[in-house]
Amino acid sequence: MTDIGLRMLFGDRAKYAMLVSGVCFATILMTQGLALFFGILGFSYATMTNIRAPIWVVDPLVQQAGDNQPLRDTDVNRVRSVEGVAWAAPLYVGNAQARLLTGGATQPLMLVGLDADTLAGAPTKLVEGSIHDLRQPDSVVVDARFLEMMGALRGVQLKLGDAFEMNDRRAVIVGIAKVAQGMAGATYVFTTWDRARHYAPAQRRMLTHVLASPAPGKTEAEVAQAISRQTGLRALTEAEFKRMSARWMLFNSPIPYVVGLIVGIGFIIGLGVSGQTFYTFVLENTRQLGALKAMGASNLKLALMIMTQAGIVGVVGFGLGVGVMSGFFAMLPEGRAPLVLLWQIPVIVLIAITLICMGTALLSVWRVTRIEPAIVFRA
Amino acid sequence: MLILLRRFSLWAALLGIVAVVLMVRQTTAIEPMPPPPSVPVQKPTARVIAAAGLVEALQDNTSIGVPVSALVKRVLVNVWDKVEAGAPLLELDDRDLQAQLTTQRADLRVREAELTRAKRQHDLAQSLRASRLVSQDESDTQADAFAVAQARVDSARATMAQTEALVERLTVRAPIDGTVLQVSTRAGEYLMPGASSAPILLGAIEEVQVRADVDEQLAPRVKPGSKAVGYLKGDTQNPIPLEFVRIEPYITPKRNLTGSSAERVDTRVLQVIYKFPMVPTPRVYVGQQMDLFMEE
Repeated sequence: MTDIGLRMLFGDRAKYAMLVSGVCFATILMTQGLALFFGILGFSYATMTNIRAPIWVVDPLVQQAGDNQPLRDTDVNRVRSVEGVAWAAPLYVGNAQARLLTGGATQPLMLVGLDADTLAGAPTKLVEGSIHDLRQPDSVVVDARFLEMMGALRGVQLKLGDAFEMNDRRAVIVGIAKVAQGMAGATYVFTTWDRARHYAPAQRRMLTHVLASPAPGKTEAEVAQAISRQTGLRALTEAEFKRMSARWMLFNSPIPYVVGLIVGIGFIIGLGVSGQTFYTFVLENTRQLGALKAMGASNLKLALMIMTQAGIVGVVGFGLGVGVMSGFFAMLPEGRAPLVLLWQIPVIVLIAITLICMGTALLSVWRVTRIEPAIVFRA
Repeated sequence: MLILLRRFSLWAALLGIVAVVLMVRQTTAIEPMPPPPSVPVQKPTARVIAAAGLVEALQDNTSIGVPVSALVKRVLVNVWDKVEAGAPLLELDDRDLQAQLTTQRADLRVREAELTRAKRQHDLAQSLRASRLVSQDESDTQADAFAVAQARVDSARATMAQTEALVERLTVRAPIDGTVLQVSTRAGEYLMPGASSAPILLGAIEEVQVRADVDEQLAPRVKPGSKAVGYLKGDTQNPIPLEFVRIEPYITPKRNLTGSSAERVDTRVLQVIYKFPMVPTPRVYVGQQMDLFMEE
């Protein structure tokens, strides 16, 4: 009986292809939308993708990664004095302007000042140069995209060893790093914390974050709690800070609404398309189903058959859909497209596809139970 | 059921699912936490108070001053010179005083000549008085003239001694045994008393001290006499054991160690003084920044 169902399904190649491509199309639509949504949320903590530390200590009023509230210089030592902290390092993150030595227009950038002793939070992927060269005077490590943008927008191709200017001070490129794109396409320039004070526009306090690490044998969460309790500052583990930033963006920025709307519509259209195609398939096969019924097939057997058909169409369509999607993702330039494929996404999509296939199948079954075998002989 | 295995679409779907699993792992992979590029400082014990410090000469650095506004005639020492208390460091221009000395010296010779004359007349009057050739009155007058002449010579000598003392004051001397840490003046420069930067910085550096700034919020945790280790800025591998000296009784506004003048005071710090001998390698320099960990 199942074999008959499968033969019925595969028998008409064109119809089968149409069914599967409908589901495939719906899968692509839903997966891509959801991946885009989480990708855009991921921009909210791009800083933490590029600057790595187990624990981030910030001002208690800070709500998200992009909010750089100044701390007091002595706060580094207060964090260091907390039991369970292996090391603590100062960090400055702020906006600065780059200018070519020859003068002319400026280029905005994200300036990161690292602790000169440990260079904690330094970029890990250096294309050229060495991160330890940051200890030389006037040295900076730049984001590869910063050079591209300087090249594209200012017409000057800077390379390793070249200099530019920030806040009227010389900055020599001693390294080129590969980092993820920041919010609003920001490019990064890394230097030491002491020098960042001079490169950034003058501010009263130049410590925005304290990076810390738990001592061996202690968990990040427990040390973060100890820091919060003893210093009155807000200490967060990397994961907590990311979650907090993403949540902040979800509720305070229009982007998730816009993207969410697109994703939602994509989801509904996807469901509609796949449901509709399968329902049409069953409708078109009404005569055959009637014939089977006339031959003595019970309603239960017919229902099982339709369910199997729906299941196969669902799984094949889903598989092809996510396959096409993965191929598409793999072709995108790395780090540019904001697509994050959480494992939950394919699972949610699979559940949605299954539900809609089974739903339409049930609808079809309901129709089939009501057909009279005599339908075969009509028209 | 075997019909399923012959369908290409089914295999393609399976491939798609494998691909998406790989893709999920690729886009959501969080790289393992990288350690800092340089090994961070190791805390000596679990419970410590961390502070930032500045290396100074023992008993603080001595900023040498000048007594009067004057040109520099000669600088007598170089950096690294070891000097004893009283050793000359600087000579200031003393030409004006030397000019005065010349006239004063001439004046003294005049007074001395006058004294010689007064003495001779006084002696003559004395001998003639004995043979009653001059009156008592005349003899007394000569005696008074002699006494005045003598006083005038003393006065002229005192004036010269004063000028010589003023000349001597223009040679600036070391008030303590120590090493010359900085010489920021050259012959011919004009120095003024009370200028913000000292021409010569002196300090005893066989042993040096570290002035550690502890945030006032940590101040209650600091215990007098606690052991500490220090790490020079830029060196996280060589701890320097420190000996407790004292806690300053007054909480001061934080001195900015990184040099930006834009910073206003919003932190007060407790200063704790530690000392250590200057022998260990790596070499330590006065003025260097240090990270301290005090045992609690």
